[in-house]
Amino acid sequence: MGKAINSEKLGKMYNGKRYRTRREWRGLKDTWYDYTRWLYIWKTMIKFMANPQCLKGFFRYRWMVNYLAAPDFLDRHTEGLRGPQLRIAHKEFDLIVEHMCTTMKTLFEADQNIGGDPEKSKKLVLLDENMMSQVMNGFPNLTAIVPEIPPIYTSSTMAQDGVIHYVDVCEEYGVPGDVCPMPAGELGVAIEDDYPKVGICMLHCNTTCDGSLMGNSLEQRRFDLPSFGIAVPIRYTDPETRDYAAQEIRNAIKFVEDVTGEKFDWNAYFKNMKTFNGETKCFKEWLEVSKTDYPQVIGNNVALYRDAYYQVAGGRDDTFLKNEQEICKIMYDAYDKKNPVVSEVRHRAILWGVQAQYYSAFPLWLQNCWGIVPLIDMLSLTSTDIYSEDDPEQAYYDMADLYAKENMRNRSEGGLDVGVDDLWRFCEEYRADMVIMYEHTRCKSMTGYHGIFDDEAKKHGIHLIWVPHGLMDPRYASRGDMRNEVNRYMRTVLHEEPLDPSLEDFDDVKAW
Amino acid sequence: MKDLKHLYEFEKLLLESNNDLVRQAADRGDKIIGINCFQLPEAFYNLPGITAIHVRAPRTGTMEMGTYYMTSMTCEYCRAVVERALEGGYQFLDAILETAACSQVADCFENLERLQLCNKEGFFIAHIDAPMKSDENAVQHMIRMTRRRILDRLTEEFGTDTSEAALRKSVEIHNEVCRLISEIGAYRAEENPRITGYEFAVICLVTYACPKDLLLPMLRETAEELKTREPDDEKKKKYRARVLLVGSEIDDADYVKEIEEAGALVVADRYCYGSYPDRIPIELNDEEDVLTQICRHVVKNNQCPRYMDMEAVKYRKDVLDQLAKKYHADGIIVQQMKFCNFWGYERAGMQHIMREEYGYPVLSMDRPYVVTSSGQLRTRVQAFVESIEIKQLHQEGKGGDD
Repeated sequence: MGKAINSEKLGKMYNGKRYRTRREWRGLKDTWYDYTRWLYIWKTMIKFMANPQCLKGFFRYRWMVNYLAAPDFLDRHTEGLRGPQLRIAHKEFDLIVEHMCTTMKTLFEADQNIGGDPEKSKKLVLLDENMMSQVMNGFPNLTAIVPEIPPIYTSSTMAQDGVIHYVDVCEEYGVPGDVCPMPAGELGVAIEDDYPKVGICMLHCNTTCDGSLMGNSLEQRRFDLPSFGIAVPIRYTDPETRDYAAQEIRNAIKFVEDVTGEKFDWNAYFKNMKTFNGETKCFKEWLEVSKTDYPQVIGNNVALYRDAYYQVAGGRDDTFLKNEQEICKIMYDAYDKKNPVVSEVRHRAILWGVQAQYYSAFPLWLQNCWGIVPLIDMLSLTSTDIYSEDDPEQAYYDMADLYAKENMRNRSEGGLDVGVDDLWRFCEEYRADMVIMYEHTRCKSMTGYHGIFDDEAKKHGIHLIWVPHGLMDPRYASRGDMRNEVNRYMRTVLHEEPLDPSLEDFDDVKAW
Repeated sequence: MKDLKHLYEFEKLLLESNNDLVRQAADRGDKIIGINCFQLPEAFYNLPGITAIHVRAPRTGTMEMGTYYMTSMTCEYCRAVVERALEGGYQFLDAILETAACSQVADCFENLERLQLCNKEGFFIAHIDAPMKSDENAVQHMIRMTRRRILDRLTEEFGTDTSEAALRKSVEIHNEVCRLISEIGAYRAEENPRITGYEFAVICLVTYACPKDLLLPMLRETAEELKTREPDDEKKKKYRARVLLVGSEIDDADYVKEIEEAGALVVADRYCYGSYPDRIPIELNDEEDVLTQICRHVVKNNQCPRYMDMEAVKYRKDVLDQLAKKYHADGIIVQQMKFCNFWGYERAGMQHIMREEYGYPVLSMDRPYVVTSSGQLRTRVQAFVESIEIKQLHQEGKGGDD
């Protein structure tokens, strides 16, 4: 054990239970750094809980208990990391935790279920979880908030069984068990009246998928707020759809103006889009470095963070931009020093399909166990266009474009060109020899391409490893089941030995 | 009741996609187009030289190959279509027009395209982005998409006349079919209907599976025949409850037969490939162009769960209420094809809303694409019929407490 990657056998961390104490020895400097960040997370959480409204919220909502696992969430997503990668991870995940605390504080302070301030509630515009938020960039006096994120989206990354209760509630209501657990869980929260009661109106959307769209219509009956649905074209790559999409954005803005009395502020919009564009530029630099022999911002360090700033923050929080600029600096320093991200690069991989929320640390396991470098994932490969910073008419089309290119949806809808063919293009660009193909078994979008992926991977000479999972419901395929799919391929097809044998088979069924 | 003269012929036509009438149309030089959805306005496809049929996979057996391409977790209709295409069953088609009505349907037709499963010379698949709301922006989108991606394409590929006059003529043929189906369907509202739900389902479905002009003589004759058809004596009636059948695509009338054999007469329907809203005539005026009127008709009457605005969501439930009242339905059966995302949620919602807010007994079921004699289906329908009877007894004060 020591400062070198793979110097510690990480499988020993797992004892088959919910571990409460774990400290990985990463050498003095990195261990000390990691420890101070761990303390920082506790400080953030304690500060959050010191707010009386947040304390009330903690006891009112059963999903809040998942956040007790936040420090473990950090440990899971930094496992085995050293030097620059450890710092990049902390920069990202620490900010996500802070952002989540701010979001929940905003919700609870306005929450009518726990005696929140009605005036604060009137300043909140609710957005559906699966939609871009840029339409709110021109309303500086209003706060866009996504009520589904704390109970469902992040809950399932904090604790692997964090949302299955709500999935079951939805099924008991009568929704079939074969639908995606994300909208099902979101609806389950609504059925149990476990959303904070906030907001003046709601915007929803047909992104990400059919299930999400349908869940929304039932959820809205519970929210009981004026609502507007933004219909984003399914065949969004067809130029004939653009006028329709842009008009939907105009109509959505008008709806918010009519309900709230606020006027869309173009100066605020363009200021936020400037920030957003700045973030895109940083992201593109990360991608460029990932194409080289010395990638630096990879795997977990892209996936969850990209989602946070691209979709949720949407340019309205410049803390993200500052953070990314600092990450760029770390990245270039590391690149100049030819810093390795794994002890031995066995395979360069693209992660395609939808990742398992309950195992968002899976890419780290790929690195640590098998030396598979997860260069980039499908959910992060969204729009990298630079959008207008001064033309209002163009801005409607820009927003429409962003809504069409929401995470996942930009690949799961739009046809084979973006869903399948782009994958082979990325493989070539990133010089990847392997694709880790997440198969979310209850996703009705990407599974329809199953045979085509198989057929074409053979043609392109790419190792395609199917990793089935249940997105937010580990009962369909546990973390161990996911790992076994890779283990089997690595052993039986490629005849390779793991870099860390202790990670090949371990029990984490009961872990957070 | 005396058998309908053409019922056997209709049943026979439904056994094949490339049936006798479709072949006749092809022989006279028509281009045969497969379509899949109400949102590809049927009123277009009586244009000169064009015949459109809905894509079905009758007499599907196993679907291993379809399952390989689309996995076992997707809708069986889609898998059956891929399977049939892999078997070469759609080689007679000159084109397929598809709306990405849902992700699975989109994937299904993309599989056909990528795997090049239809090889007739000049064959193409056109993908149409259909709107998802019932507002004016949706109407304008529909106009743009249908003009550019359907009508212009038909002209480019087949030289089809899509002028105002040709479209008007096409709508006339479509409307005649709709009026005949409405006329035939109206008998289901009678106290003792002179037509069964199964017979109606066959007659309605055959209008999706054949060239309309070639079918019309038989439809006219059937409508005429029904005017004087005597229903069975009340004492001989086999059903114990009248139901409205709702839900996702049904392209096999045997499903209706199964329900009726379990004691529930299907007196009204609201499912894809059924009579509502697809067989509502398009009343044209002279003020607007025909294309706009057709598109507005489709958008405003749409009953697809993908229509996401809350007005449309509410409208769908109101329509069920109106249909149930008009046809004196005692209860509602909401069915969905297994693995359908849209109807999975819609069914769950309807089960609660139609029962709790509109006061109807509701039976909620999923089903496979291939209809086989199902003990489970019969048991559930029989139990539902009994529950309706018990409820009626209670209402009449003969059922004890409650």
